[in-house]
Amino acid sequence: MTKEERKLKKEAKKEEYNYVHVVGEKCPLSHLKIGQVGKVIKFDFDNKPLRRRLLDMGITKGVEIEIVKVSPLHDPFNIRLRGYELCIRKHELENIECEVIK
Amino acid sequence: MKCALVGNQNSGKSLLFNDLTGLNQKVGNWAGVTIERKEGIIKGTDIEIIDLPGIYSLSPYTSEEEISRRFVIEEKPDLIINIIDSTSIERSLYLTTQLLELGIDVVVVLNMEDILKKRGYKIDIKKLENLLSTSCYSISALKNTGIKELVNAIKNREYKSNIHSKIYSKDIEDYIEKTISVLPSSVGEKRFVAVKLLENDVRYNDLKEEIKLKLNVDLEIKAIEAKYNDDTEELIASERYKYIEKIRDQVVTKSNKKSITEKIDKVILNKYASIPIFILIMIIIFTLSVGIIGGLTVNLVDTFFNGCDGSIPIEMFGIEIGAIPSNFEGIGPMLGGLIESNGGSDWAVSLIADGIVGGVGAVCNFIPQLVILFLLLSLIETSGYMSRITFLFDNFFRKIGLSGKSLIPFIVGIGCSVPAVMSSRTVEDDKEKKLTITLTPFIPCNAKLPIIACICGGFFGPYSLLVTILMYFFSIGIIILVGWFMNKFIVKNKSTSYLIELPEYHVPSARYVAKDTFDKTLEFVKRAGTIILLSSIVVWFLGSFTYDFHYVDGVNYFIEQSFLAYIGRGLSWIFYPMVGIGHSYNDIWGVSVSAIQGLVAKEQVISSMQVIAKVADEGDIFTSSVFSYLNPVTAFALMTFNLFSAPCFGAIGAMRRELGSAKEMFKAIGIETAFAWCIATLIGIVGGILTVAGVF
Repeated sequence: MTKEERKLKKEAKKEEYNYVHVVGEKCPLSHLKIGQVGKVIKFDFDNKPLRRRLLDMGITKGVEIEIVKVSPLHDPFNIRLRGYELCIRKHELENIECEVIK
Repeated sequence: MKCALVGNQNSGKSLLFNDLTGLNQKVGNWAGVTIERKEGIIKGTDIEIIDLPGIYSLSPYTSEEEISRRFVIEEKPDLIINIIDSTSIERSLYLTTQLLELGIDVVVVLNMEDILKKRGYKIDIKKLENLLSTSCYSISALKNTGIKELVNAIKNREYKSNIHSKIYSKDIEDYIEKTISVLPSSVGEKRFVAVKLLENDVRYNDLKEEIKLKLNVDLEIKAIEAKYNDDTEELIASERYKYIEKIRDQVVTKSNKKSITEKIDKVILNKYASIPIFILIMIIIFTLSVGIIGGLTVNLVDTFFNGCDGSIPIEMFGIEIGAIPSNFEGIGPMLGGLIESNGGSDWAVSLIADGIVGGVGAVCNFIPQLVILFLLLSLIETSGYMSRITFLFDNFFRKIGLSGKSLIPFIVGIGCSVPAVMSSRTVEDDKEKKLTITLTPFIPCNAKLPIIACICGGFFGPYSLLVTILMYFFSIGIIILVGWFMNKFIVKNKSTSYLIELPEYHVPSARYVAKDTFDKTLEFVKRAGTIILLSSIVVWFLGSFTYDFHYVDGVNYFIEQSFLAYIGRGLSWIFYPMVGIGHSYNDIWGVSVSAIQGLVAKEQVISSMQVIAKVADEGDIFTSSVFSYLNPVTAFALMTFNLFSAPCFGAIGAMRRELGSAKEMFKAIGIETAFAWCIATLIGIVGGILTVAGVF
């Protein structure tokens, strides 16, 4: 990769990072900013036990999830759902598709 | 009557267990697995109660959950006490719906309602009782309220019996009914098994085959999945939560108040302040326990066991800051004298004084500072800060194949590797847990401080304190290096996850902290009394007798003729490249002997070297002819090896228990020792070349 390409990629990433999704848009939960709420519409995991665990923890279709905090090192996230808060890694949130509702 | 205490992690389960049982507790082992289980008798009754590991679901995700699941299914308690954190009632009731399917009576205990009230929420218990059709009680485990009513209800069997309410949509309930009718009579918890079959749980595959002629479950699953356009696993979870949502809407009234926790987290988890705050708290803990309390007490306890020569030195971080004049003889020499005056032989005196009292005493030196350390760590844990630390550093630790939760053992390891290895249990992923256990002994524990202090004091003069502090950073560097290496080439851990709840901050319960500190200290003392005592005697024997069984008396027979010296010579090849280049191979047995003795307790490394130096020519480690090959470079290499190689027997025992097998344990200590050797040898050789080249 040339210097130019790397720079472009970095900028694209930065843009993606700064982009704020608006209500009604569909995106992975990890794209939401602190204070935003998303409604889960789909989630797929290759790791079946982990998927099961997330189901057990209340991440089911239709549940509303709010991003409460992000660790100072940018990962993990602290999310609120079903009246409680859960810390979860960004990687997991990337696999959860949501519709922005706030 | 037998009760099982079941609940989510952080639901106040341990507190309730303490409230219910008082001091009537014992810790046993689970059959077949090496995880502890706590049992007790409820105060004022003859009801047995078992504290199960904290779980979120009966579908096992971690080894602890598998244990809880197996217990309730196989041992069939008469009653399940299901403790619920009122502040997260929705998620907590999920487990309740599963427990109710087992067919065992369940009482639901709502904990922390006081916190909920503070937040402006209210739960209608009577309504909840009716909707769940099971008995519910409100308590505060922290404030010890509502416990009496709960105990009375259990004792007098005033709770409702389990009637299996239907909670799913019609198609699923129809399927369940159909399945129950064909299940063999040997299956007790029919409703639970029917749901498990629907969820396609592999643990029930045999049963599925068995009933296939009467009912083809796979076809049923296909039909339901087609109808709902969802896989059954997700469908069941969704339906459970839908049922709970309905209950929630009827029993919980809420208002919106900002909790104090959020305000504290604004500071503690602040982008810029969080890491400095963490470092500050660590420095405070370290200074209080290891520095101040440790420095004040370590020689006092040592004097109690081994006596002193005229004064007891008071140290701080290994540097002497004062001394108390004293002529106390010490328990060991006193007992020795007693045996001698009664005509006991020299070796019997030495066995008692040097072998038994000396060995165990060496470990007991660290008890005062460990008590303080355990106390401070317990405060951090119960106040809710520990989970925040893992949240803070997870991103960093994940890069080397660990989880944020690995930080807990590392912090505890500053005190002692034994409880540190034990605290690795909270790490969910098996590979992460094993790596955490392997890396934990790299943190210099209290007992390694004398090694650092002595070698630094001997060679680095005015810079010794600086080098001592640098050694801690050096060890963090080693952990990162080894962790990265292991993750990249050996463990190759990719698909891990990190799920944790940040509990509300609260003022820790004094009762709980006191008990926790006491339990951990007791565990440590027990270890000193068993494994360390035994290994002390073995090493004493090897060091005190020659190969033809003559006692090493220092007059006719010398330590270089002992078994230990021969074993040391046999192992000298390990140390030759790091300290011995340019010296005779046979001369360096002293360091290997002391490294072996370090396996009993790490601070023995230095005391053993001192003994050898004294026996040889009344010298000091740094002046004696037997250690003439030690210079700043080789001493540093030797220190590195002793700090990072296999930990003491106490810690090895803990590793064996937590890793689950001797094979895993040998693998872990093998890796540790191999890395320690490579790094120490590298230091020895490169340092040697630089010395010859005149850089130093």
